[in-house]
Amino acid sequence: MKDNKPKVKSISYAKWGYIFIIPFFLVYFIFTFYPQVLTFYNSFFENFRDGLTQIGPRFVGFDNYKALLTPSDSGTIDILKYFGNTIIMWIMGAVPQFVIALLLAVFFTNTRLNIKGQGIMKTVIYMPNLIMASAFSMLFYTLFSNVGPIKPLLVQTGIIDQSFDFFFTTISVRGLVATLNFLMWFGNTTILLMAGIQAIDESLFESARLDGASSTRVFFNITMPLLKPIFVYTFITSMIGGLQMFDVPSVLTNAKGTPNRTVMTVIMYLNNYLGGSNNYGMAGAISVILFIVTAILSIIVFKTIDRDKG
Amino acid sequence: MKMKKFISAVLVATMVLSMMLTGCGDGGSAKKGEGEIFHIMAWNVEFKGFFETYFAEKHDDGEFYVGDAKVKWTIVPNEGGAYQDALDRALLNQENASEEERVDMFLAEADYIAKYVQSDSTMDVTKIGVTDFSNTYKYTVEAASDEKGVVKGVSFQCCPAGLVYRRSIALDVLGTDNPAEVQSKLDSWEKFNEVAALCKAKGYYMTASDGETYRTFSNNKTEAWVDADGNLVIDSAIQAWMDQSEMFRDNGYTILCDVWAEEKQPQMLDTGKTLCFFGPAWYYNFCMGNAMDTCKGDWGLCEGPQSYFWGGTWLLAATGCDNTKAVADTMNAFINNDEIVEKLVSEQSQFVNNQKINEKFASDPTYGNEFLGGQNDTALFVELAKNIKFQNTSKYDQLCNEGIQLYWREYLKGKVTKEQALENFRKYIKEKYPNVNTDK
Repeated sequence: MKDNKPKVKSISYAKWGYIFIIPFFLVYFIFTFYPQVLTFYNSFFENFRDGLTQIGPRFVGFDNYKALLTPSDSGTIDILKYFGNTIIMWIMGAVPQFVIALLLAVFFTNTRLNIKGQGIMKTVIYMPNLIMASAFSMLFYTLFSNVGPIKPLLVQTGIIDQSFDFFFTTISVRGLVATLNFLMWFGNTTILLMAGIQAIDESLFESARLDGASSTRVFFNITMPLLKPIFVYTFITSMIGGLQMFDVPSVLTNAKGTPNRTVMTVIMYLNNYLGGSNNYGMAGAISVILFIVTAILSIIVFKTIDRDKG
Repeated sequence: MKMKKFISAVLVATMVLSMMLTGCGDGGSAKKGEGEIFHIMAWNVEFKGFFETYFAEKHDDGEFYVGDAKVKWTIVPNEGGAYQDALDRALLNQENASEEERVDMFLAEADYIAKYVQSDSTMDVTKIGVTDFSNTYKYTVEAASDEKGVVKGVSFQCCPAGLVYRRSIALDVLGTDNPAEVQSKLDSWEKFNEVAALCKAKGYYMTASDGETYRTFSNNKTEAWVDADGNLVIDSAIQAWMDQSEMFRDNGYTILCDVWAEEKQPQMLDTGKTLCFFGPAWYYNFCMGNAMDTCKGDWGLCEGPQSYFWGGTWLLAATGCDNTKAVADTMNAFINNDEIVEKLVSEQSQFVNNQKINEKFASDPTYGNEFLGGQNDTALFVELAKNIKFQNTSKYDQLCNEGIQLYWREYLKGKVTKEQALENFRKYIKEKYPNVNTDK
């Protein structure tokens, strides 16, 4: 009998798996990995245009990094200030974004509430994300500008005074940036979190309810723990997106980060180096620093939220 | 199975072939006489309008043509250096660009014309048939010439600038709306500031933007923004403007906004409460367009406290251009074709780059600008044009001019200290122009 055993012990389907993921890796290497390596490489060179004259590329070692990390006349390291701006604006938008998205996701998935018209609501909350960020920002700029409709309204009701300028006040510009990012992204987050909640076994909710658990209790002891992998994923992607914030603050402040550069984000800073002189060296160095900071923050977030896993 | 393989083989073959063919196509048609597309780059539609009205022919397909070449425009706004960035990219890619993309002619402003004229990206226009500059203003030719005196383009306008005032407010505040009398009350900055106080007392603004007088000061600089050694220089004229704008803010003589801001627009309409605007002919013909509809005739023009010029649109021939005839014809038409140039004055109220025509209108008692209540603006500009010197310019001027006004406004609005405002300005210039030394 033993002799009759087939020569091939088992059919291996694994090779098909590898074949099917080849396209992804090809695209990844050409469009992501290679440019990334190139960015690192470029950051060690002096390479820009002065008018129409190309200067460099000339190897300068860590000079670009030194220039970025040297304090300015007033003693501040600019790039840290811009990281601070970016993170503050991201948090201002992300906190309401996650609170509202979690609430909505729980309401929509709750079988007892059984909310009607979910399809329409999901479409509506997702809608702002479909509009181009720059168009959306332009709309808000027009609404809140000195000749827009909002200002006279608030002046008449006595909330602000005539000299108040939305785009020359740090808190109002940051607030607008955060609001816009919140409006654009909470729908997306809601839908991701809903998918996460729906993946949780419904019987768990049912048995909890039968045992007399309150909604709050169900949320904190069943929904949240089981939702955690998805929650961490959305949180980290939102953070990475937040650190790369560019279009909204750039359009609202005309790329200047007014007032006193307090709305200047890291990518706007990078873009200043690219526009005008095509400064690949400095822009590359900023990208590398951003990459390192993003990696560190992601690891911290991952470790903190996922701490009690084991 | 065989059939499938065959089909996929055919598909791959078609893909490869079509790629090869398109590749060849581009290479083959690159150089042969005049190109089919006359590609022009610009930052706004001012010249496009004149070009289409007086020069290019409209064919049945609704497109404009010069000779057999179809005209294609690429328009990118000036602000923040966006136009220069787009132009640089296009000019540095001329050799590899397709017929569609290859730039034949582009427009440049006084703030950055030096950058292009001093480079190899522009070509000698005398070699393509633009040779007669006898009627043009000398500074327009100098501005378009490199260090060796090679002329790279022409300007279709001459831009001496003056002070545009609202007649009704002048009558109320100064008791006269006669240009000569108004000028006598505004012919120095001291008198100008005194009149500002009178305006304020009657509830008017002197100017509608803190940047309104900027060009008058900046055009009278004694040094370029960036000196020969590459150092950023804040000239005493710029300092004078900063001091004046600060004083205007303290006294409420002006509105704190950019010279192109929307807040300023209502001041140009019939409800406006502002006495003075500063600019050349293109300013009130093109930029004050809305005022034409609501308060035409309520305006007067005089020299103002200091003579200056502002802007101007030069047409430059791009190296690698394959429509040299169309480029030369366009340039010649807008400086030497009497019929077109006269219409630019009589129909568009331009101050053209042709001394003969300008003088003809200046001495014509029947000619007057409707917008200025029938005043003969050309007569005044002919005098002012004599003072223009194209000097103290650098290729960094546009963003220096934009940047200082913006960062200074943060100080005027009380958001930063003077030192912070200037430090932010220096940072901005350093980011944009790594070669400029911005240290104090």
